[in-house]
Amino acid sequence: MNPSIIGQMAVSGALMGLVYALIAYGFQLTYATSKSINFGQGELVMVSAFFSLTLTNLGLPYWLMVPGGLLFGALLGLIVERAGVRLALEQKSEGWILLSIIIGLFFFSAAENIWGRDDRPFPTPISADPIHILGVDITRLELSVAVGVLAIMGLVELFKRRTLLGKAFEAVSADRDAAELMGISATRTVMLSYALSGAVAALAGILVSPITTVGPTMASALILKAFSVAVVAGLDSGFGVVLIGMALGALESLASFYLGSGWREAPGLTLLILALAVRPTGVFGKAVIRKV
Amino acid sequence: MLRQAFYGSLLLAALGLHAGDSVKLAITGPFTGGSAPMGASMRDGAKLAIAEINAAGGIQVGGKKLKIDIIERDDEAKNERGALIAQELAAMNDLSGVIGTVNTGVCMAGDKHFQEKGVTKIICPAAGSASMTQWSKAGVKDLSIFRFAAHDGIQAAMVVEEAINRKFTKVAVVFDSTNYGVSGRDDMLNQIKLQGNKLQVVAQEKFNIGDKDMTAQLLRAKAAGAQAVLIWAIGPELAAVSNGMAKIGMKAPLIGGWTLSMSNYIDNAGKNGNGTLMPQTFIEDPITPKAKAFIDGYHKTYKVDRIPSAVAAAQGYDAVYIFAAAVKQAGTTDTHKIKEALEDLKEPVKGVIATWNHPYTKWNPADVTTHEAFRREQTVMGMVQDGRVVFGNAADKARLIKEAAAKPAAKPAKGKTK
Repeated sequence: MNPSIIGQMAVSGALMGLVYALIAYGFQLTYATSKSINFGQGELVMVSAFFSLTLTNLGLPYWLMVPGGLLFGALLGLIVERAGVRLALEQKSEGWILLSIIIGLFFFSAAENIWGRDDRPFPTPISADPIHILGVDITRLELSVAVGVLAIMGLVELFKRRTLLGKAFEAVSADRDAAELMGISATRTVMLSYALSGAVAALAGILVSPITTVGPTMASALILKAFSVAVVAGLDSGFGVVLIGMALGALESLASFYLGSGWREAPGLTLLILALAVRPTGVFGKAVIRKV
Repeated sequence: MLRQAFYGSLLLAALGLHAGDSVKLAITGPFTGGSAPMGASMRDGAKLAIAEINAAGGIQVGGKKLKIDIIERDDEAKNERGALIAQELAAMNDLSGVIGTVNTGVCMAGDKHFQEKGVTKIICPAAGSASMTQWSKAGVKDLSIFRFAAHDGIQAAMVVEEAINRKFTKVAVVFDSTNYGVSGRDDMLNQIKLQGNKLQVVAQEKFNIGDKDMTAQLLRAKAAGAQAVLIWAIGPELAAVSNGMAKIGMKAPLIGGWTLSMSNYIDNAGKNGNGTLMPQTFIEDPITPKAKAFIDGYHKTYKVDRIPSAVAAAQGYDAVYIFAAAVKQAGTTDTHKIKEALEDLKEPVKGVIATWNHPYTKWNPADVTTHEAFRREQTVMGMVQDGRVVFGNAADKARLIKEAAAKPAAKPAKGKTK
């Protein structure tokens, strides 16, 4: 076993794992306020990436395209909330599961019709040239993923802790009924969480596309991993998804080196099964005490 | 009731009249998805030729001139879709022929339907050896499938030769897990043996369609000391390999099948693609008047400044002219007669790649080249340079210019071109 190879595989895997973590974080945002998850989150990543690519092709500079893409993602999040989730939540049904999948499928078909089925390159001003750090080659592009993911997660956490709106968000996640009694609109807070989750999905798309190219199927592999990360980490720990995401990415990459590239998916699935069997609330999840 | 029968028979008569009035030619291939640059370029090249033939009044068939009617089908590079399309087309009783298929797997899945009904098909531009060897292995006596592409046997020989000429001794063989990739790997390994085992294969690495991260495979190749990567795969994944090599600082050149000239490889690999080498039957460089006219025509008609896959476009164009020559010689739209004519084309066909003199002979299961149009001489080494494919070898360019200039001097009927 060559230590520099282990280091290389672990680091590049962990950096990709941060993208899983970001998408998983999107799941957490909506789960916190509404106990619902957007199963079409992957399509949000893909459609936002296509939209951002269109903005770039229209000549918008990168640093204007990013906020444009995030706004668009937030808008898509709001559409999912309004068209699918709210209706089901009002009726206290689990219909949001099916509805969010259906809306995702709709986005997928729309993207195929608007942008076609081809994989396309996603231009970025960030260089893909490698930098050599401690025997490991990392590209600036991969570093930008790490910086982007940690920055947006940090910003959202700051927003939740330091602003009034953020406190409302926390209040609704802690106890929806109590928050409503205090005059906080739970509906608006759920809308906010979906918008944030959409923006987070858009950022994931913008960050990962220069590495993987943009195509209608780009998110299908990411979303499964992100889901594993969210479940393994627990649906209420932002810190947990970062750790689990990086660990999963590193494990995948090491497995594909030492066991063969066909075994890449094995660690994620094994982790998921173990987590569900041993600790269904997730490694970092809080055990819920049921008062009767 | 009577009136209905009358109109019905009138309608049938009209349809019958219509069927006899044109040559029905199906064009199939992936027009969407990762293989689309090849499929769409082949289709568009073929359509240019068809438009020229139709504009000149059509093909002279017996006493009258018939226009070509196109039937287009998108197989999306999916084997099962390709098989369904082949079934549908083979069931048409007035179809004169089929040109197309980009993916070797799609040929393997669908061509049996054409063969069963004896429908003449010219495979273009799928190059995987297996699409023809499946018939020779089965010992088929009479085959209606032809190919118009530099098959992988020729290409693999050139790839191995190039690596030896560049004084490499250790290489990694990398391929995708499709029929095309695996059959390409076998061809390369076979050629390494045939060319005297001068190359040592230090790593054999595989990846799947859709894979974006090739770091594991490339690190293994690098650790084993590979000086060059010999590769057989398709567009987007090839770019992931090129970009992965740049990331881990692997300087070895990429040499492989002609698909390395696809636009989605060149664009997605960017400057990491520079120096990549692959056999080509046509390079988008207006070195002859015929090539210039074709390239300009393509750019103008489809409003592009680079053909997504110039090889596929030029082959599609020439394949239509060869097919049209066979229809004319057969003097009928009957697909069986067209097949017989193709096996013995009397007149040379002037194409954009070459002048095709008796490209096919009667099928012999012991010799698949009887239904292959391309030989080593029609194939040159191309190289990716700043987003375009250029000649990898200046001598090839000079030879093609010289051959083209020599043609008008030669007697047309006895032209000595291949």
